[in-house]
Amino acid sequence: MDLENTKAQMRKGILEYCILSVLSKNSCYASDIIKELKEARVIVVEGTLYPLLTRQKNAGLLSYRWEESQQGPPRKYYELTPEGEAYLSDLDKSWDELVESVNLIRTSEQLINQ
Amino acid sequence: MDKTIKINLGGTLFQIDEEAFKMLRRYLHEIDSRLGKTQGGAETIEDIESRIAEIFQSQKGIGVITRENVEAMIALVGKPEDFDIGNDETRANEPSYHSTVHKKLYRNPEDTIISGVCGGIGAYLNVESVWIRILFVLFACFFLVGLLVYIALWIALPYARSDGQKMEMYGNSNINTPTHKTTNSSLSRRDFSYSASESGGSPAGNAVNEVFRAIGKVLFIILRIFLIIIGITFVITAFITLVTFIMIFFFNYPGYFSTDEFGINLFYLPDFLNYIVNPGVAPWILILTFIAVLMPMLALIYWGVRMIFWFKAKDGVVSLIGLVIWVGSLAALSFLLFSEGISYTETGRSVTNEVIENAPDELFILSGKKVTDLNYDKEISLHDEDYNIWFVDDNKGLYISSNFDVQNSDDNSVRLNIRKRSMGKSRTNAARKSEELIYNYRISGDTIILDEFFTVPSGRKWSVDEVHVQLYIPEGTVVHFDSATSDMFRHSEYHDWDSDSDDDRYIRSDRSWEMTDDGLRRLRDRSDNKE
Repeated sequence: MDLENTKAQMRKGILEYCILSVLSKNSCYASDIIKELKEARVIVVEGTLYPLLTRQKNAGLLSYRWEESQQGPPRKYYELTPEGEAYLSDLDKSWDELVESVNLIRTSEQLINQ
Repeated sequence: MDKTIKINLGGTLFQIDEEAFKMLRRYLHEIDSRLGKTQGGAETIEDIESRIAEIFQSQKGIGVITRENVEAMIALVGKPEDFDIGNDETRANEPSYHSTVHKKLYRNPEDTIISGVCGGIGAYLNVESVWIRILFVLFACFFLVGLLVYIALWIALPYARSDGQKMEMYGNSNINTPTHKTTNSSLSRRDFSYSASESGGSPAGNAVNEVFRAIGKVLFIILRIFLIIIGITFVITAFITLVTFIMIFFFNYPGYFSTDEFGINLFYLPDFLNYIVNPGVAPWILILTFIAVLMPMLALIYWGVRMIFWFKAKDGVVSLIGLVIWVGSLAALSFLLFSEGISYTETGRSVTNEVIENAPDELFILSGKKVTDLNYDKEISLHDEDYNIWFVDDNKGLYISSNFDVQNSDDNSVRLNIRKRSMGKSRTNAARKSEELIYNYRISGDTIILDEFFTVPSGRKWSVDEVHVQLYIPEGTVVHFDSATSDMFRHSEYHDWDSDSDDDRYIRSDRSWEMTDDGLRRLRDRSDNKE
């Protein structure tokens, strides 16, 4: 088993969830999302984000609008669609369940060991 | 390494040095080969490109981008293989990417001496292009076929402009370029001028290539000279034609071209037109004819200039407009001519017969009004001068030569037969027009006075009018021609087979002729009889 690979797999699973969570607070453009995800140490390289954004947008979870910026060309600002919000609340629920399950497993393991 | 390249990335212009550029290009190609074929891939690539532009901007402002900048950018954005986030379809497509590139024949912009045909074939066959060149030269030397095939390929093969096309040209063997998708991204639209050095060959091959390059240059110069000569010919021809036309149509100036080479003096045609068609139509016919001649001449001048100076121009719209105007003027012209021509479709005649009483044994023919007395301004001769039209500008008069003939009457009568002919909308219309023709003659006793010409009533258009005057006399009648009539009978030929002299065959002078069963025969002088 490759540790890095396992870590990457785990990150991939939650990355989509994280993107939606970031956008649920504010509509942002890609670099803002990257900044936040980097601070949370969810992604390593930025390139990962773009295919996901496109896929979520195509799935109808996100929409974007063009906004002028002071420096350089206009930017794409992403925001959640109502569909995306519903999707996110589902994910929120399953995330809580997941955390609960993982915690349960981890604590019960400890119980057995003791 | 001093070379910098301008690129357009995500809508922003950057200066980038050559090394960094290659690196960036390779990087973008990798991204493209990863994502290009996935759903929404093109969009993702665009987003990534604008992010890269943003990173460069934050790094550099507007300075030249170097290798270090690109490396830093890649560290930030990550390697394409790290982008994969469990997207299975990407993975599945990946192996097929390399194998699905079909090789295609292009003209190679990276390996060009004349047009890149040999370079393209070389890339296609994965052979050094020198060998292809040698083959072509051999074939061109021994058979003309080589040359023809080359030209055909030159015309038929497309130039490999985009990276995708270059990829297809080389197949997988040579460079790692992406397939079609990146052609959408702005970077790939650049022309990679440096890349010729990338696909280097053996030293010997390069040396031979240099020789070919030199030969190619010489061939090109010869071709250019040839084109320049043709171009100059075009321009001069068109220019002379135009000047001639302007002279004819606008200034009625004969210049050097006032010859009768066409049987008629061309320079009178515009004036003549006024006598043929309706007055309102004549200027239109002139203008349309002028346009119909002008357009092709302008085109000829333009092509000539292009051949001489060898430039490219976006002339599609202008050419199309010119063509439309030309075709339009031709159509309008033919419509006008047709509608005018309808008034000249049928032929009609009218005949006057004068019988001279007491058929005299001797007849005297004198000329009445003569052309030489006519103060005409212009003359047009048709049918080898059998038919002449004289214009008198003052009264807009048309004077036309009449035809004369003397024949055996086969009975004892002397008759003067005047046949008039015109053309018109219908037979009756034409016949009425022919009656209007004015021909003057007089008969007094044994003397017939004939005018040399007839006139068309003033204001009436020319309608291919003809007047034929025929004198019928019985056998044995002697005819004396006034010397002045020689012009009238200039073209009437009489047979006098006994003599070779033209004087005997044509009525030329005041000699006397006698009607025989074989036609008119010259009466011999006493001096002739002695011989």
